[in-house]
Amino acid sequence: MAAERRTFPILAPGLPRAVIGAAIGAAIGAAGAIGLNGEAGQILGLGYLFALVGFLLGIGAFRFWLTWAIGREVDVHEEHAAHGTAGDWRRYFRFTTDHKVIGVQYLVTAFVLFLVAGTAAMFMRVELAQPGLLTDKDTYNTFMSTHGAMMITVALVSIIGGLGNYLVPIMIGTRDMAFPKANALSYWMLPLPVLLVAINPLLGGFDSGWTAYPPLSQQANLGQQAYLMAFVTVGASSILSAANFLVTVFRMRAPGMSLMRMPIFVWALTVTATLALVATSVVAAAFTMLLFDRLLGTSFFRPSRGGDAILFQHLFWFYSHPAVYIMAVPGLGAILEIVPVFARKPLFAYPLAVLSFIMIGVLSFMVWAHHMFVSGMAEFFHIPIMLTTELISVPTGVVFLTALGTIWMGRLHFKTPMLWVFGFLWAFVIGGITGVYLADVPTDIVLSDTFFVVAHFHYTIVGGTIFGLFAGTYYWFPKITGRMYDERLGKIHFWWFTIAFNATFLPMFWLGIEGMRRRVADYPPEFGPVNLFVSFAAFNIALSVAVFVYNMVRSWRRGEKAAANPWNAQGLEWQVSSPPPIENFGDIPTVTDTPYQYGSPHLPAPVSGPPAPAPGAAGLRPKP
Amino acid sequence: MTPRRHLLTAAAAWLVLSAVSMAVVAGVQILPEIASREAEVEDAAFVLLTVVSMPVLWFVVVGLAYSALRFRAPAGDVEDGPPVHGHRGFQAGWLVVTFLLVIGLFVYGAVGLLEIRGAQSADFEVHVRAEQWKWHYTYPDGLTSADLHLPLGRRVHLVLESDDVIHSLWLPALGVKQDAVPGRVTQAYTTPTLAGIYGGRCAELCGFGHTGMTTTVEIEDQASLDAWLQQEEAEPSSGS
Repeated sequence: MAAERRTFPILAPGLPRAVIGAAIGAAIGAAGAIGLNGEAGQILGLGYLFALVGFLLGIGAFRFWLTWAIGREVDVHEEHAAHGTAGDWRRYFRFTTDHKVIGVQYLVTAFVLFLVAGTAAMFMRVELAQPGLLTDKDTYNTFMSTHGAMMITVALVSIIGGLGNYLVPIMIGTRDMAFPKANALSYWMLPLPVLLVAINPLLGGFDSGWTAYPPLSQQANLGQQAYLMAFVTVGASSILSAANFLVTVFRMRAPGMSLMRMPIFVWALTVTATLALVATSVVAAAFTMLLFDRLLGTSFFRPSRGGDAILFQHLFWFYSHPAVYIMAVPGLGAILEIVPVFARKPLFAYPLAVLSFIMIGVLSFMVWAHHMFVSGMAEFFHIPIMLTTELISVPTGVVFLTALGTIWMGRLHFKTPMLWVFGFLWAFVIGGITGVYLADVPTDIVLSDTFFVVAHFHYTIVGGTIFGLFAGTYYWFPKITGRMYDERLGKIHFWWFTIAFNATFLPMFWLGIEGMRRRVADYPPEFGPVNLFVSFAAFNIALSVAVFVYNMVRSWRRGEKAAANPWNAQGLEWQVSSPPPIENFGDIPTVTDTPYQYGSPHLPAPVSGPPAPAPGAAGLRPKP
Repeated sequence: MTPRRHLLTAAAAWLVLSAVSMAVVAGVQILPEIASREAEVEDAAFVLLTVVSMPVLWFVVVGLAYSALRFRAPAGDVEDGPPVHGHRGFQAGWLVVTFLLVIGLFVYGAVGLLEIRGAQSADFEVHVRAEQWKWHYTYPDGLTSADLHLPLGRRVHLVLESDDVIHSLWLPALGVKQDAVPGRVTQAYTTPTLAGIYGGRCAELCGFGHTGMTTTVEIEDQASLDAWLQQEEAEPSSGS
């Protein structure tokens, strides 16, 4: 125990030192800004910047690099200790470099954020349950903006950061990510910005929504600035993590794992990481320019001094439309990974699915301006953007081809993950079809900025990402925790959530067509009854999530012990113990095929109950 | 049942459901109020997209429902399904059909777009100025009012500007939604076809007062519009 050998345990790298570091950093930054006669925004800005550095120094994020930089030997024992010891719960609260620990950190953080942001949504539905105002409109706008900002973060990090970090190294047959320290750094960059968004109401809140369009966002409160700074930090973490994923996937695959033998989930994350790497810097630049406008007196987006408000929208959506796919594609990947296991059939049209993910990635950079059909952008631009936006439904539609093709004539086992797959396909087809109404300019003119848009993106992001996240969480829960979840509670969660979700968002399409605007705290009385129903349904979503949380916590503590391969699946992650040992593999396996060889006659019949050890599985042979 | 029988049964269910639902939605007016040529084009687009959506929706729903009913494994089943990795003809057919569908929708959308925003000519021009959280309308003779009055049956050119943040003029019955952007001039066109008084509102989040930033538009024939303009000139009832 390194900490006990020291005289002052509080000075050992860890959360207590990180909190102290953040406090000292905040004090130094704020004092500096005050010394320079800064305004409130500049004090917050410098204070946050220094607090972030202090937090990361405190948690120990830079200690190995700093040791190396000043020319000293890095302590091998300490470096090894940073990887964590199996079964030690404290590693989850430290700067731990094991990808499985980081995966769990991301996943749990994402679910906690999901609950907080969901609570904000419940406040919105209380306000919207009846016409008239309960609070004031600023309070509503702050809840609405905070809900959006946090849920976007959940959708961005939950699958790729959580399931991706945990599973990708195992699925491609390697011991860890390419850069374990950078991996831990990208996680520990998140707590402070997330906290900053959570406390933004104390700074006056912000009313611009997550899109932060100037000039509105230039005149808004300090809470607005908190959001912008937090978003840039999350973006930096996202870029770091994306680079790490790409190097891992392209350099560290096990022998025999050619690109076209990679699990579809890994392919999905590879496309996602590419998008994140390329696009995130654009929005980070836009938000930084906006911060400069607020703090340093520049006028990039300030029309009163020659700036251009539309330019911001172009930059924002140039990231934020690909970001929709950064959110959805990991969900699609998780779904397609799960379908073959519970249909007991090979993944249908695997090469086409891979190609489609790549095409989605490419096309996603050419569709951003469909968010701006009524913005007053150049007139001619409507036509090509309408074309590319509608074209992207071709590769996205292949997901349905692949899923339905796999399910058709299969032998379907409706375990909880498979239920989420079916729920996903229903929600995502609604999201896809309604997306066409928003891609088509004549209908988009009517629907832009209405509840129809709200309903549509909840069907794609909840339907794509959150259904995929739930499917994946149930599916890989035995692998991650070594215990089985409660199947009965899982099914209750699925049916309750799915029915409540549809009851909440289907009526919103109607509300939007009838003329209810989004982002309003009040509405004409004729929409009252439908909104009351929607609020009632929305509260049911929250209750169903309580079942999920109970199931996860209880099963993690005392669920039935899980076998290495409870689903009789073929991926590499199922050929190691549950949970996998530190560094995953004793000997690195050799891969001979895709993990979708179900029903092939030359393979031994799958076994039920406790599975055979690794050699019996398809697509995998231990290294001689 | 043979694979062919499964396919035929599901296809028959899909055909029937698609045909019935397409026939039902084809005759429905989707927009709540239609009082301009542009809103007619938009409603027609809604109807067409909904008709085309029906077979797509039923394809997925029938596929899922049929599979859930007929391909469920018995309890304790340990067998695998057939080792089918793909079907070249089906995959190619899927890609061709979805591609053609998309191109068809694009062409239809482009035609509609040109009809709404294409002809840059008009015979009545109103300048719209937005500020937090009010609308001001200025008519060709320089008169300004807080309510919008438009002539029946003439193509109207709306020229939008904003004093502070981005707003968006949304006149649902007239099929108009257009952002008003500070530092820019934006345009919208509408051709009123039905006299009456309709609601309007700001569609782009513009701060604290966004919820209450509403307006009204009155469509009347040219004679009563002229009368109103003259009366306003004599004794202004509202506006600034």
